[in-house]
Amino acid sequence: MFRLIGRHFKEAFQGIFRHFSSSLNSITAVTVTLLLVSLLTLIIGNVSQITKTLEDEVKIFVKIEDEVEDAEIPALTRKVENVEGVSMVEFSDKDSELDKFIKEYGEEGKLFEIYREDNPLSRAFIVSLREGYSISDVASRLEKVKGLTGVEFGGVSTEQFLKVLNGVRQGGYVIVLALTLVAIFLIQNTINQTIFNRRLEISIMRQVGASNSYIRQPFVIEGIFIGLMGSVAPVLATIFGYKYIYETVGGQLVSGMLTLQPVYPFAFYVSAFLVVVGIVVGLIGSFLSVNKHLRWRR
Amino acid sequence: MVNLQNVSKSYKNGVNALNDITIEIKDGEFVYVIGETGSGKSTFIKLLDGEEIPTKGRVEVNGVNVGKLRFSKVPLYRRNIGVVFQDYRLIESKTVFENIAFALEVINKPRREIRQRVREVLEIIDLVDKAKSFPSELSGGQQQRVTIGRAIANNPRLLIADEPTGNLDPERSNEIVELLEKINEAGTTVIMVTHDINLVNKYRKRTIKFEYGHVVSDSREGGYVAHV
Repeated sequence: MFRLIGRHFKEAFQGIFRHFSSSLNSITAVTVTLLLVSLLTLIIGNVSQITKTLEDEVKIFVKIEDEVEDAEIPALTRKVENVEGVSMVEFSDKDSELDKFIKEYGEEGKLFEIYREDNPLSRAFIVSLREGYSISDVASRLEKVKGLTGVEFGGVSTEQFLKVLNGVRQGGYVIVLALTLVAIFLIQNTINQTIFNRRLEISIMRQVGASNSYIRQPFVIEGIFIGLMGSVAPVLATIFGYKYIYETVGGQLVSGMLTLQPVYPFAFYVSAFLVVVGIVVGLIGSFLSVNKHLRWRR
Repeated sequence: MVNLQNVSKSYKNGVNALNDITIEIKDGEFVYVIGETGSGKSTFIKLLDGEEIPTKGRVEVNGVNVGKLRFSKVPLYRRNIGVVFQDYRLIESKTVFENIAFALEVINKPRREIRQRVREVLEIIDLVDKAKSFPSELSGGQQQRVTIGRAIANNPRLLIADEPTGNLDPERSNEIVELLEKINEAGTTVIMVTHDINLVNKYRKRTIKFEYGHVVSDSREGGYVAHV
């Protein structure tokens, strides 16, 4: 058994080195496609991160009518919690509303301390959204709840920005999937070329009594190695390139709100993903190709 | 050993390569198969080694019904027969030693046995000093001897040689036939396809002549029999 495995590995390595130029073609094809996959995965990963942060930050601010008694607040809270799309409701009384108001105005805000005794502000709910719900939809539903008045949120622009990000994320998934399929096709084609050049060799193997699985194994191992070697450059590019970008922009885009995924572990996850894609693609590609060429001669 | 019963073979393109052939070859025989190009010799060989399936009739080699073999079982069947081709079909990326060893590796012989057997075979084919050469570094006659070495490496009971001297000059051809005779004397049945009349007349053996897909003569005395 070990003897057999040893032989297959020997065959595979000999295959790679004795047909080095065609192996190099396949490796390059893997490298190029994996670089693209890497780029897209990095973008998707960060877009998801930013979307999630933004979604967490987006809150709807709802004032409570002054007629509502303090005793009725728990019941009202439950009512708001039951509105479709609401994930969390936080109650804020007059005092804390004033605190926030004063804080917003900084030094000058201290002037408003005089209102502490006769507070004109309303009590409010700060409502967080469940993922995937549109802010304006939830806001308009909240407006209909009795006892609430003045629903405020970041506005249409926030909502549209989120929509764009979500679009980018979903589009990204589709492109990565398409790219992986293209990669399999490309690599299958180049490995196909490699194996086509060795078709005679395969028929000779059958001629001297090699079983199909025996013939297939070195090629499949070769395919896996090609995938592995093709993923080396993309992995290095991912880790160091991403580290460079991350450090250059200081870990965030535009403002502190749009933070990037930290290099560790994100770049390593992406790298592992690339290695796996490379191996799988090499394996599938070579398997399909050998099977085709096995049947060249009976 | 080899038994063909009313075998016919026609190809998809409509060519009737063999028509109702019945041949029996016994254990230990040395048989020439002669005939013009297109007479059906090559098809005969392909039926024997499982590359083609007969349209009609039954091809039996060593007790195996060759025409009924499944695609994946064909290589296993071939472990018991050796085939030598006119165009050598050596693996270019392997050395002489590796090419011969390969036939033993695929049937998973232990490494020590392989080395020993390959050395024996190299002695038989007289290429000990070329063990580390690649096929492209050898002459035609040497390459053909490597092919024969590979074919006999696992002691097959039947050796089929398809025009083994087709690309060689007379002197090398004689060497090849003498090598095949040596193998035959050691107990292997040999079937040699050729159109080299000089060889057939010089080394007299049973001779089967094909013409237009029929057996037109099967002479035990040997030698080429002119048109009757």
